[in-house]
Amino acid sequence: MRFLDDQPGSAARNWLLSGAVWMSTGVLFGLLAAIEMAAPDFLGGYRALVFGRLRPSHFNTIIFGFLSMSLIGAGLHYVPHLCATRLYSDKLANAAMWLWNLVVLSGIVTFLLGYTSAHEYGEYIWPIDILAVITLLLLAYVVFRTIARREEPLIYVSIWYFGAALLWTAVTWAFMGGTGARYGLNDAVWTWFFGHNIFGLWVTPLALAVAYYVIPREARTPLYSHTLSLIAFWALITFYSHTGTHHLLQAPVPAWQKVIASIDSVMLLISVYAFCANVWLTLRGRLWRVEQSIALKFVFAGTIWFFIVSTQGSAQSLMGLQRLTHFTNWTVGHAHIGLLGFAGFIASGAIYGILPQVTGKPIYSAALANFQYWLMLLGTGGFAIVLTIAGLVQGSAWLNGEALYRVLPELGVYMVARAVLGTFVVVAAEIQLWNVTLTLLGRGPKREPLEPAISLFDQQLVEGQEPEGA
Amino acid sequence: MQMTERAFAIGSLLILLAAGVGVGFIPAWTTEQKPSDIARRRTPLEARGRQVYIQNGCTYCHTQYIRPQDWDHGAVRVAQQGDYVFDRPHLLGSERTGPDLSQEGGLRTDDWHRAHFMNPRFTRPASIMPQFRFLTDGEITALIAYVQSLGGKMADARVTRQKMWHKALAAAFARGTDANFAYLHSLVPEQWRTMPNPYPPTPEALARGRFIYEQSCIGCHGNFGDGNGPAARWLYPKPANFTALRRIGASGGLLYYQIMNGITGSSMPYFKTELESEKIWDVSNYIAVSFIGRSDGNTAPRGADAALEPVDPHAPPPPAPESVTAPPLTSPALQPEVNAARGGMPMPGGGRQGASSPTPAQTGPAQTLPSPRHAHPRPAPERRRP
Repeated sequence: MRFLDDQPGSAARNWLLSGAVWMSTGVLFGLLAAIEMAAPDFLGGYRALVFGRLRPSHFNTIIFGFLSMSLIGAGLHYVPHLCATRLYSDKLANAAMWLWNLVVLSGIVTFLLGYTSAHEYGEYIWPIDILAVITLLLLAYVVFRTIARREEPLIYVSIWYFGAALLWTAVTWAFMGGTGARYGLNDAVWTWFFGHNIFGLWVTPLALAVAYYVIPREARTPLYSHTLSLIAFWALITFYSHTGTHHLLQAPVPAWQKVIASIDSVMLLISVYAFCANVWLTLRGRLWRVEQSIALKFVFAGTIWFFIVSTQGSAQSLMGLQRLTHFTNWTVGHAHIGLLGFAGFIASGAIYGILPQVTGKPIYSAALANFQYWLMLLGTGGFAIVLTIAGLVQGSAWLNGEALYRVLPELGVYMVARAVLGTFVVVAAEIQLWNVTLTLLGRGPKREPLEPAISLFDQQLVEGQEPEGA
Repeated sequence: MQMTERAFAIGSLLILLAAGVGVGFIPAWTTEQKPSDIARRRTPLEARGRQVYIQNGCTYCHTQYIRPQDWDHGAVRVAQQGDYVFDRPHLLGSERTGPDLSQEGGLRTDDWHRAHFMNPRFTRPASIMPQFRFLTDGEITALIAYVQSLGGKMADARVTRQKMWHKALAAAFARGTDANFAYLHSLVPEQWRTMPNPYPPTPEALARGRFIYEQSCIGCHGNFGDGNGPAARWLYPKPANFTALRRIGASGGLLYYQIMNGITGSSMPYFKTELESEKIWDVSNYIAVSFIGRSDGNTAPRGADAALEPVDPHAPPPPAPESVTAPPLTSPALQPEVNAARGGMPMPGGGRQGASSPTPAQTGPAQTLPSPRHAHPRPAPERRRP
């Protein structure tokens, strides 16, 4: 493997592998932080391992390391595949891979050393911001040049999301990186405009794109509806971009901004339900494929988590419910349902679904992957239950006038449970890295090389107006 | 609709830009950046402390705004837009694992914060905050300065009062146990000093009191109530040694009053925002039985009667004690908030005790420490008996 490989598929493979590596790293930060919440003197007070430095390392490594790199890796495979061409330049995409790895790594180093912009979800300091924007633009260049030389006349929905997400995020990141002139609540509003765009206009479209690709392909059936995918796409960019201020509903920001954020957080469900209806109806009568394809199993579970997290998110963006849930562990649970459940499951599905396609090597062990699936499911489901209960305990106690300090001892059991469940996720992540490594080393079952995938395009052109089984 | 790359890329980017203008730029252009009545610029030391706060991610567990529905710490003032005009970056926070800090300044002494940063369990045994012992002395000093500045001018008023009282308390402490207790007790209004604990020290009440003691008191006052808890090393004046009260004596009401209101200028914080009345009575009983050796609980007047105003409707009102004159406050504009922050809420015993304590300026305690008898020569008013 050369530093800047130009072999077709090498970029996708390297991005996917990086994703698996960063997941196995990022969850360790999470586990340490979770143990500190349960046993605060556990690490004895090391400067670099204090909770406030582990937390940004944890979620930035997960979001920008694991999720972004796996999902981009998938994109670098399905974009040329769906365009019936090859990637414009694997060399450039590999260069972007090294740059992006540098972003994630320097993020961890700077956070542990105490360098942070203090903007939640945008903690990277400005040199890293610049590097990230450059990388995004480089990727966008590769992707759009690939689209430009497509052989297929139509562009499949996965490509809209992937190409657009690169541009959206480059733009919002450039705005965010241009920090320095904003004070007080203006800064808060901007922070959450950026922060929420990272979920809504980066992680979500990347993951949805993979779902749109993997589900029809693994189920061997065309996508249910082109119209629904159009609705979902345009509703996503229209409504998701306005919702940032729902993180500040109880802060003294102007009421009109809160109203916009709350309304659009609910309107967002148009996009969510259109997507879910589309992919679930695609699977109608073919759900048995979930048992046959580990990639489909992960991605299908991810779409269910997506339904849950989005419905929950819209509900908690309403002022009434947020009075109870804001500032509590409910929100932490929500973040884990979204990033580990929805995006994490789809990213693991992308790794297992696309790695064999780009390397021609079958997955080392489907049984291990299945074990990982159940560990992640137990971990995520457990997080959802435990953290939601902890959040309700906190929120209802506070609303009843109980002092925060006196509620702390009630949370101990949930913090312990969360750390235990966290070990499930850590084991799952290490299994994934093991499985991916051995797959790449060619230790998988000896088989004929996999056939090239059938083109989704042909299928969609056929179904376009008349979905199968309608 | 056929999606070309132009349609999805340029179309969606235009929508995103419109959203950015609508929810990003327009708020920035239209929001007036006018400082509120409490906002002020930070000193260089406070600004450095804010950097330490940022570097160590304090903002992930501590919010910095009070919401309309909040109780507890700092809830005397709901956050206003103008409170934050000097903040860059903002540190509003999104999780409240620890208490909100937007009004933290002046509620506790620097000593308390230092002990707390060494290990939060020293002062707050149930805390899950990390230790910050790894910070250098300079970093901790800066961090404390920043924390004491939270709350702006309101915090400044509290810090000023803490410092003023600290001198008097330190002088009293230096004079030895008896003089110190005499002085501390002189600060408690008469009706509280003579009030017995209305609740009997039953084993159950003592168990509840012990639970509260272990959660809130043990860090400073220690396992044996001798004032040698793990935090004591960093505190001056030292925490009270309850065992000495065996000789000097302390009524249930006196303990109650000091737990409720704290002792301004010392590291004894007030507990009225987190402990309800009965819990304070229970912990008073626990301290009295376990460390002082005797409790006046279950002596008359007991139960609800003890908490009523000792007023005979047919008798003329008693003369006001000297000390009810309100002490001068640093800024008249801040007076209502300061009173509220200090505890100017109606007390079970009646009156607004928080605002009516004597100041050193009036009694000159640093020079001559008045004994309780001299400070309050009026005999205890007769209580209504059941």
